[in-house]
Amino acid sequence: MTDTRDEPAPAESFLSRREFLKKAGAGAAAIGVAGAAAPFSFAGPLNYKGRWLSGNLSLLTWVHFVPSYDQWLDPWVKAWGEKNDVQVNIEHINNALLDTRAAAEVAAQSGHDLFFNLHPMAVYEDQVINHAPVIQEVEKKVGKYMPIAQSSTFNPKTKKYFAVSDSYVPDPVVWRHDLWNAVGESPATWDHVKAAGPKLKAMGHPIGIGQSQEIDSNMALIAFMMCFGSFIQNEENRPTLLSKNTVDAVNFMAEIAKTGETNDVFSWNGNAAANNNYLYSGTGSLIFNAISATRTPESGAAGGQYADDLWIWPIPAGPHGRIGLEHLMGCWSIWKFAQNKPAAQRFLADLCIAGKDATIQSQLYNFPTFANAMPFKDIRKVAAADQHKPKGKYSILTTIAEKYTHNIGYPGTTNAAVDEIFQKYLIPQMFAQVSQGKVSAQDSVRHTNTAIKDIYAKWRKRNML
Amino acid sequence: MSALLRQRLFQYGVVVPFAILLAFPFFWMAVTSLKPQGEVYDLSKTWRFSPTLENYGYLFHHTGYVRWIRNSTLVGLAVVLITLLVAVPAGYALARLSGRFGRSLGVAIFLTYLVPPTLLFLPLSRVVSKIGLEDRLWALILVYPSFTIPFAIWLLMGFFKSIPQELEDAALIDGCSRFGALVRIVFPISAPGILTVVIFTFSLVVNEFVYAITFITSSTNRTLTVGVPTDLIRGDLYNWPGIMAAVLIPSIPMALVYNAFLNRFITGFTGGAFR
Repeated sequence: MTDTRDEPAPAESFLSRREFLKKAGAGAAAIGVAGAAAPFSFAGPLNYKGRWLSGNLSLLTWVHFVPSYDQWLDPWVKAWGEKNDVQVNIEHINNALLDTRAAAEVAAQSGHDLFFNLHPMAVYEDQVINHAPVIQEVEKKVGKYMPIAQSSTFNPKTKKYFAVSDSYVPDPVVWRHDLWNAVGESPATWDHVKAAGPKLKAMGHPIGIGQSQEIDSNMALIAFMMCFGSFIQNEENRPTLLSKNTVDAVNFMAEIAKTGETNDVFSWNGNAAANNNYLYSGTGSLIFNAISATRTPESGAAGGQYADDLWIWPIPAGPHGRIGLEHLMGCWSIWKFAQNKPAAQRFLADLCIAGKDATIQSQLYNFPTFANAMPFKDIRKVAAADQHKPKGKYSILTTIAEKYTHNIGYPGTTNAAVDEIFQKYLIPQMFAQVSQGKVSAQDSVRHTNTAIKDIYAKWRKRNML
Repeated sequence: MSALLRQRLFQYGVVVPFAILLAFPFFWMAVTSLKPQGEVYDLSKTWRFSPTLENYGYLFHHTGYVRWIRNSTLVGLAVVLITLLVAVPAGYALARLSGRFGRSLGVAIFLTYLVPPTLLFLPLSRVVSKIGLEDRLWALILVYPSFTIPFAIWLLMGFFKSIPQELEDAALIDGCSRFGALVRIVFPISAPGILTVVIFTFSLVVNEFVYAITFITSSTNRTLTVGVPTDLIRGDLYNWPGIMAAVLIPSIPMALVYNAFLNRFITGFTGGAFR
């Protein structure tokens, strides 16, 4: 990894009087010539005192769901820039716009040095550097890169790290305890969810598991499938969607949608916050979401009238067990066309090393991806100490992260094919077609499987799988 | 009941519900913009809330709202100017001078308007990058005419065709040059059409989103359409009162302009419809 330390080597820091006078004279002459030739060179003070290394660094990231994280990140970035003599420019955009921006930057072969996205951008593997040096650097400081991050950002075929994940977000089920209690149920298993759905809907509080073209629907439905023993691919990254388990899962969810949900769940296209708002408005009784869905009501910003009744649990168990996904995978990529790769690598390493601060400042939304940045036992202590009602409700979050959180494409790795399936929302479409009564589960699964096999063939042809 | 009264009742019976339907979004925007953020999700406070102007204060003091409006206006005016400079002579030429070929060419030009920005933004990203206009308002000023000019040419073609050729011929007989006839006779008569182009182009530009989010990254250069969803939606928390205030403010002058020139606007759009 490029050394970007700003301290001069010890041997360079001592000058004899003669050397000092020579260098000072040469420096004064150079300044005089440069000043005369470029009158604006000294028009204002330098940006940072003691800046003697040059370089700009541009970052693009999202507007974090927990505002306190950005309130921590932006000053941290500024301080990092001052410490490393790099002019850093960080831009935040709405999460729904990240993929569009990434596509535009790749098309233009120009843009930010460091690009953050909420899922591993495996389709752009050819467009990014190998991030292995960054990961090795961070591992020296804060322990092993965790399996979920390894599986999300490493291509075993090309032996390339196409991103560095600094964090992942567990995906609990968020449910209104008061409403579920009123119908004498709890979302412990998918059978319970199916049984409670009609009663909750009759009370005017339907379930809110999306079947739209947005990230939350993607995550919830792929995780749901896994609980039924249906997987997009196997350990060898070969497609395995076409199975009886998938058909059963699709039929089961269609039943939940018909009896326990409304058509709202089909209309959340492009809006990952729609299910949150469904909950905040007092309508929804259960959604799949990160803890921003509880933190926002706790802050009072969304009214907060239901905050104390919002509980978080692991994904309900299905016939195949309780297998969940991460809600978001925070992944940074350095483009090949980045202007300042050394600074980008240094920045990324330092950000990952600061994983503990990030976890705390995000109010346990972000979980670090390096084992010792903030070990699970430490996170559990912080979670248990949370004072929001019902007290201790966040303790389960660490268990969810440790036991039930997997990468997209589990039990294989996240790869270009999985990323394309994810970005094209093929899984939500497969479910929605059946839930809306347009096609049978068998046909929907068969059509989706055909599309998926074509995608795998395409990426295999490109030697990415 | 007199015939006149019956006619009035019928007219108002149709117009009033329609007006309410159209005005309701504006009314809802105004109401929501006056609500405290915490009361937006509370259904019991849909009508009984504590009105506040803090959302407007937030907009002007804690976001780049004024800058976004300025950027949008600047880009809008520049694009209107470019569009007029190209579309007026092109529309006239296609309507008057090129015969059947001109008509076919006019339709072909209009078809380019139908190519959606969601397809074009990728190749245009490359173009913008190659000419070094990334993250500059000039990128938008350069790209937006690619969809405003075809529409404006098509609109003006229809309008110019509705102006009798005899008027120009009379001017030419009286000693005017073709350019003189254009400036002295055709343009004044075409004012409604040109005004329509101005209003419509400006609206298109101010509402455009895909190019604006693609070519502009820095917060200082954001336009209104990008600034609002970026700065007023914090993850899962929509600052609805702020968003409504941000949208309401520019919509008022736009609505006034539309109203003031409504008759000319309608004439502009229907100018080529009846011959």
